[in-house]
Amino acid sequence: MMQNIIIGQYVPGKSYVHNLDPRAKLLTTFLFVIIVFLANNWISYALLGAFTLSAIGVSRIPIRFIYNGLKPILLIIILTFLLHVFLTKEGPLLFSLGFIEVYQGGVEQGVFISMRLLFLIMITSLLTLTTTPIDITVGLETLLGPFKRFGLPVHEFALMMSIALRFIPTLLEETEKIMKAQAARGAQFSTGPIKERLKSIVPLLVPLFVSAFKRAEDLAMAMEARGYRGGEGRTSIRLLKWDAKDSLLFVLLLLLTTALILLRS
Amino acid sequence: MSDLISVQNVSFRYQEEQPYVLNNVSLTVQKGEWLAIVGHNGSGKSTLARHLNGLLQPEKGDVLVEGYNSRDEESIWEVRRRVGIVFQNPDNQFVGTSVRDDVAFGLENNGVPRDEMIERITESIKRVKMEEYMDQEPHRLSGGQKQRVAIAGIVALRPSIVILDEATSMLDPAGRKEVLETMRELKEEEGMTVISITHDLEEAAKADRMIVMNKGEVIDEGLPKDIFQKGDMLEEIGLDLPFPLQMHRALKERGFPLDSLTLSQEELVDEIWTLQSKI
Repeated sequence: MMQNIIIGQYVPGKSYVHNLDPRAKLLTTFLFVIIVFLANNWISYALLGAFTLSAIGVSRIPIRFIYNGLKPILLIIILTFLLHVFLTKEGPLLFSLGFIEVYQGGVEQGVFISMRLLFLIMITSLLTLTTTPIDITVGLETLLGPFKRFGLPVHEFALMMSIALRFIPTLLEETEKIMKAQAARGAQFSTGPIKERLKSIVPLLVPLFVSAFKRAEDLAMAMEARGYRGGEGRTSIRLLKWDAKDSLLFVLLLLLTTALILLRS
Repeated sequence: MSDLISVQNVSFRYQEEQPYVLNNVSLTVQKGEWLAIVGHNGSGKSTLARHLNGLLQPEKGDVLVEGYNSRDEESIWEVRRRVGIVFQNPDNQFVGTSVRDDVAFGLENNGVPRDEMIERITESIKRVKMEEYMDQEPHRLSGGQKQRVAIAGIVALRPSIVILDEATSMLDPAGRKEVLETMRELKEEEGMTVISITHDLEEAAKADRMIVMNKGEVIDEGLPKDIFQKGDMLEEIGLDLPFPLQMHRALKERGFPLDSLTLSQEELVDEIWTLQSKI
């Protein structure tokens, strides 16, 4: 079980989207979140949709992964759609059923807002699906680098992330071991009412925390022994390479933004 | 032979009003030797190891590594670059998310330029024969492999001394052999100085020199051959004698005239089969 664990949601692949510089992907996602709000008519939404869907197509990520990312917020999308349909009273009246009145403007607004949410989630999940967590961390570290001057602990944050990522499998393994040890002494984790089950987690968490603190102490010692003294004067083995394919993405994004601005009504 | 490390009258305790964990310890480490420091749990041997690369600073006395005093703020990083430690728990010293990243960690800390870093990483991973695992994540490696990666991480920094702080005590016999063989090769081929901190006397028997610690003090020092003559003393401070030696003592007690000390199985076998022919 532990052998095949994949941290985060990363789906390995070699597509154009996978191979992009993580910085390019992070920036694109960030900009996309902004330009989504430029769209305000059917053509501009169609354009955004085309961009999103072709990005997913090019990444060759199976649709079910995208769907998995959407699942938790599907309810919210449907809810906002219905709210707009019933509460926005603009444009000609489409039909009325007793006290319920549906206007054309409401339907339009409902569709727009839910598409907006849909595209946002799709693009952001595409980022995490095609980029390893460590690459995202390195990308963020470089992108946020300039903010170090203002006292933002960028390096510390990135190191913390990468250590957390490195220890997830170790701690999972340990949890499994402790579970087995406690089960051997008669602990039950999966039966009984919720209250009992919550109580049974305590003998699992306490040893896990104790050992996590011990690990943290050991690790700090080992890091210091290997000359760690903060981010200053440090070099990095991970090199991000920005090349033509990343610039191409930005040209595309620029075109999309211009088109959206021109199409605004 | 020159003094690589010299420890001069070092005393240390973790907190005031607590007994001293190290009590007036003095010793020297020679270039190119394999020094074993043995002692029971709580004898202060790990605390001593942490003094040798400046992780801890003595309360009294001085620790000098190639002339650098571990007390000085300025020279402490020089000390740490010269003395690498492999710790006990293989998992808790693996910093990187892959073998390559982990070996790189020490180099990154010392600001080595990237091109040189790649060169040194490849070289040192080859030294510990882990080149097939370059991009593996730590949870896919065995304990022995993780310790070898830890060694590579240290070797990449080109230190003069490697300390094994109970580095093999959490490994299975195969892993233990892997790690010790790797260190032995490094010592033979690169002239690395090795300090092995252990309570495993079998491991210590293969060292060039031995230091015995008990209750924060150095109580004996010398060649393993000579130290093992005093089997009673070692047992008294809570150490288990290696099996061939125990056998030797038991046979002698029962009146078999074995003479020379047997530290390895081969020596013991030789001694036993030549026993009759001597008479």
